[in-house]
This record gives sequence, C-alpha cells and structure tokens, in this order.
Amino acid sequence: MENRKLRIALTKGRIEEKAVGLLEKIGYDVTDLREKGRRLILSIPNEDIEVVLAKAADVITYVEHGVCDLGVVGKDTVMEHGGKFYEIADLGFGKCRFALAVKKGTDFFAGYGVKTVATKYPNVTRNYFEKKGIDVDIVKIEGSVELAPLVGLADGIVDIVETGTTLKENGLEVCEDVAPISARLIANTVSIKLKQERIQEIVKLIEENL
Amino acid sequence: MKRNDLLTPEGTRDLLFEECAAKREISERLTGLFEGSGYSEVITPGLEFFDVFNGYVRDFPQEMMYKLVDGKNRLMVLRPDSTIPISRLAATRLRDEKLPLKLFYNQNIYMVNPKDSGRDDEISQCGIEILGGESKKADFEALVLAAKALELCDEDYRIEIGDMGIFAELMAEYECSVELAVNTRGWIETKNLPKLDEVYSSENITESDKCFAEAFRALPRLFGGIEVLKKAKEYLRGEFFDKKLASLEQLCGDLSKVVPKDKIRVDLGLLSRKNYYTGIIFRGYVEGYGQPALSGGRYDRLLGDFGRDAGAVGFAVNVEAVARVLLQKGGEKFKRSPDVIVWSETPVFALKHCSKLIAAGYCAVNSVLGSIEQTREYAEMHGIKRIDIVNDDEKITSEEV
Repeated sequence: MENRKLRIALTKGRIEEKAVGLLEKIGYDVTDLREKGRRLILSIPNEDIEVVLAKAADVITYVEHGVCDLGVVGKDTVMEHGGKFYEIADLGFGKCRFALAVKKGTDFFAGYGVKTVATKYPNVTRNYFEKKGIDVDIVKIEGSVELAPLVGLADGIVDIVETGTTLKENGLEVCEDVAPISARLIANTVSIKLKQERIQEIVKLIEENL
Repeated sequence: MKRNDLLTPEGTRDLLFEECAAKREISERLTGLFEGSGYSEVITPGLEFFDVFNGYVRDFPQEMMYKLVDGKNRLMVLRPDSTIPISRLAATRLRDEKLPLKLFYNQNIYMVNPKDSGRDDEISQCGIEILGGESKKADFEALVLAAKALELCDEDYRIEIGDMGIFAELMAEYECSVELAVNTRGWIETKNLPKLDEVYSSENITESDKCFAEAFRALPRLFGGIEVLKKAKEYLRGEFFDKKLASLEQLCGDLSKVVPKDKIRVDLGLLSRKNYYTGIIFRGYVEGYGQPALSGGRYDRLLGDFGRDAGAVGFAVNVEAVARVLLQKGGEKFKRSPDVIVWSETPVFALKHCSKLIAAGYCAVNSVLGSIEQTREYAEMHGIKRIDIVNDDEKITSEEV
C-alpha cells in the first residue's frame, strides 16, 4: 500500500463553502473544489492534500476510521454523533446554537407532568435533560420540528436556532439555550501521531487564517 | 420464522483462508516473542461473572458488555478485557506463586459497540502481563517487548508513551467539582482544545489556579518526539513533576538505545478510559489502521482490588486488526495453493503417496473426486501446478497443469 495523500473531509453545503474559502485564504489552489461537478474526491494542485465531500455525520465516521485524517464538521454533529476522534480547533464559522423552544407564552417547566420534547437530535436532548435531572419523553422527528408543539405532539423542541425567524413565524420562542455551535476541525487519533508534522503545519495555517 | 440463520451478528465475521493465515502468522510471531522471553501462557474463561468487571477500579461501562445469566440466575458477561481476569487469577489460584509472574495470553474479548459503527465486537488479543517486580524495570521490559511486538507486526510503527499519574496528581491538587474533573479528563483525552481554552481561559480562572489551567491546556498539546518532555517542564512544576518527567525521560532514553528513536513518541495528554491504569500508559500505531494496534500500561491497584497487594504492567495487541493491515499491504504471501494433487482409482494408493509427499515437505492434497478430468479441473481452479496419478500397479505419473 503506497502512502496516500493527506485527506481532509468537508461537510457538504454551507460549511464546505466557508472551509473552501479558508483553504483559499491559506493560499491553496481551490479551482478544483469550486468546479467540482459531481465528484466527491478533489485534489489541491501542488499540495499533498485531497479533499473529500461528505454529509456531516459521515465526516465523523470517515475520520474515526482513519480513512480521512482531518475533518471539518459542525459542533451539532459532534455532540449528536460522538465518537473517538480529536477535536482540535474551533473554526469560528457556521455559528448558531442549540436551544429549547416552546409555544409563545407557555412555561415548559411548569407542573409535575413528564414533558415531551420533539427533536432531530435525540442524544443532545437526552444529555441536556439528564444533566438537569429532568425526566422527559423524547420523540425523534425527521423534518420541520417546529410543527410538533403546534399540533400538540410535544411540549417543546430542541433544535438548531440561527436567527430565530422560523420559530417566530410559527409562534414559538426560545425558552433556554442548550449549547453554542460552530464548525470544528477534527482529527483521527492515529493520523495526528503518524503524520504529526504535516498535520500541525496545516492546522497552524488554518488557525492563522481564521 | 428463522430470519438470522444466514448471518453473523454485527461486529463479528467469518474469517477465511488467507485471513486466518495472516491472523495465525501474527499470533505465532507474538507467541514466539513472548515465550522466548520466558512468559507462560494462560487462558481465562470466555464467560465471567459480571461482578469481576464491576467496581471502582474495574469499572467497565455495563452498556459495553455482552450479558447473560447462569443456571442460578446470576449475571454473567462475555469477557470484555483480559487484564482483569488475569489479575483475579494471580490473586486466587496463583496466590502462592512467588512474584514476579510473567504471563501471556492469546484470547478474544467482546464488547458492545454503537450500532452501525463498523467496529469489531469480537477482538482477538495477544498480550502480556508482568505482575510484581521492581516497577521501573518491569515498565521498561514491557515497553521493549511492546516495541518488538509492533516491529514483528509491521515495520512502519510508532510506540507512544504517556503517564496517567500526571493528570491524577494535577487533579488531586486542583480543587473543583467532580463533574468538572470528569469533563476535563474527557477534554484532554479527546484533545478538545477549544473547550479547554474556553473553560481554562485567563478570564475564567483565579490567579491561584493559573498554573493548573496552564497545565490542563498544555497537556493535550504536549505530544511528539522525546523532546516534548523537556517542553513539559514549562507547564509542570514542582517536585512531583520534576521526578515524574525525569523518570519518563530516563525510560524513553533507555528505550531509544534498543528501539530506533524515531519510532518513540510521547503524548502527555494520553489518558485511558480504563480506571485501573495508574502509571505509564502506552499505545502502538501501525500505518494503515486508524486506531491503536497495541495498548497497555501500569496498573498498581488492580491486584490489590482482588486482595493481593502488587503492582503490574501489561499490554495487548489487536491481532486481527494487524492481520488485516498485513493482508492489505501484501496479501499474496498468505495465499497458499497445494503443490500437488494426487488422484487414484484406489484411495489407499493415493493416500499412501500423499503421505510420502507430505513427509518430503510438499503440500499434497488427496483428490476425492470421481474422475481424473474432474481432478484436472479442480487443480486448475485452485492453482495447483502438479497432478500425480497413481495407477493400479502403484506406478506414478506426474502431469503439469
């Protein structure tokens, strides 16, 4: 097996755009990344680096298994998915937060009854309420979570909130912040040791250009 | 309806042919090394009582253990670790054996991994334990053996050394909630640098705690070559750390006289989730495998927990993982076709001839097929180059395929 190039996995979409901008700022030639078409593995000319595009949770999986050395992924996915990897830098972009939201004017914590929370992030929600020592029923929703309290399925939702416009338009409001979110640079635990110098060089360039 | 009778459970697999050969090759190489170094083999049961792995020092997360019950309705587990049962063994049946004891094992461990994570639930390990003895000497021997074991697995390896005692000492001195202590340990272990920088930033920390904050932030960054230990002195001050760093330096220095220096790494942020480790811990990495191929360390409280007061050190190699890397890098050498296939109308003649060939060092296979044509076809399919036909007078004709 020949020594492969250093591989960086980027989360497709908004994080990808920002991350490509960052790579450009470092001085890498990102034309291939900008004109990617449908390709999933892209190269940076004159550098020993390959860029892989994947869905957020898959970025973690690829890095965890060591087939990618570095990854750029949102803290939301890191919190929900977990896994064995190093979280080495906060890239500062893709900022938003996890929040608990309820129907405007209602008190989530009122009364003795066990509350129901709808979310796309059951692990984040469970950890949050476990830490508070509150028993809740968690319902996993795949699409627009805001609907759940409106139709009476849940008392509240835990979701990503950026500006709060969607909540407002649906008559919901933030009741409590759960955790701040931003894009993270993660690394495979073995790659960082076997390719320490090269990875540290790249991490340094990234941190200098944030 | 039987729905699972054609499948193996998630996290397990059937190993075939060259996979078996590669796995056996690795465990034979390691066994040769350990036996040659005077270690004695032990095998502990695959089934153990839950209680063996439950306690403060031996705290295996129960959600990670495969459980079942015995005839008396007592909770049992499939062995999730070999070091704990071997410590139990040393404190019970080997109670009267004088220390030090040097033991090695070749057995599987089992753990429940998160669904769809692609990790192995059944892991074959080959490892050693040195129970008792002078700890510095034992640590050094374990490290040398670990490096040699890695070298036998793959030339492109690294051995990395850390010490659980550093974090333990910092936490013993630093006054904080249990929750923060547990979290800090996790952040260091996962090198969560942004979180450590945030929690231990100068604004959040009082002047008197500054040295702790600096140390916690520095630990996960202190990894690399042996020179890291010199750099660590800037962050870890006081008599305890001076001694600790000096002894690590001595250990690495000694190791570099036996093992190429560029193979030796240090990571002071290395922490193990296993609560029984108390002193040095180490990991081995091989190119091509995204997780540690070897892990081990010193555990001075485990035997005491079973009632025999003694320190110990040990490590285990993930045999199957290494075998897979070996196969990826050059699987051909594990594919072996028989040299000769023997066919005869009379089975007695065929097997007599086979025995002769085998005795002469050939790999000879007896054809159980009805006709010579079928045998030729079989030979071609399996890459067997020579066919020996034994006729009724026990005369042998050889054919090249």
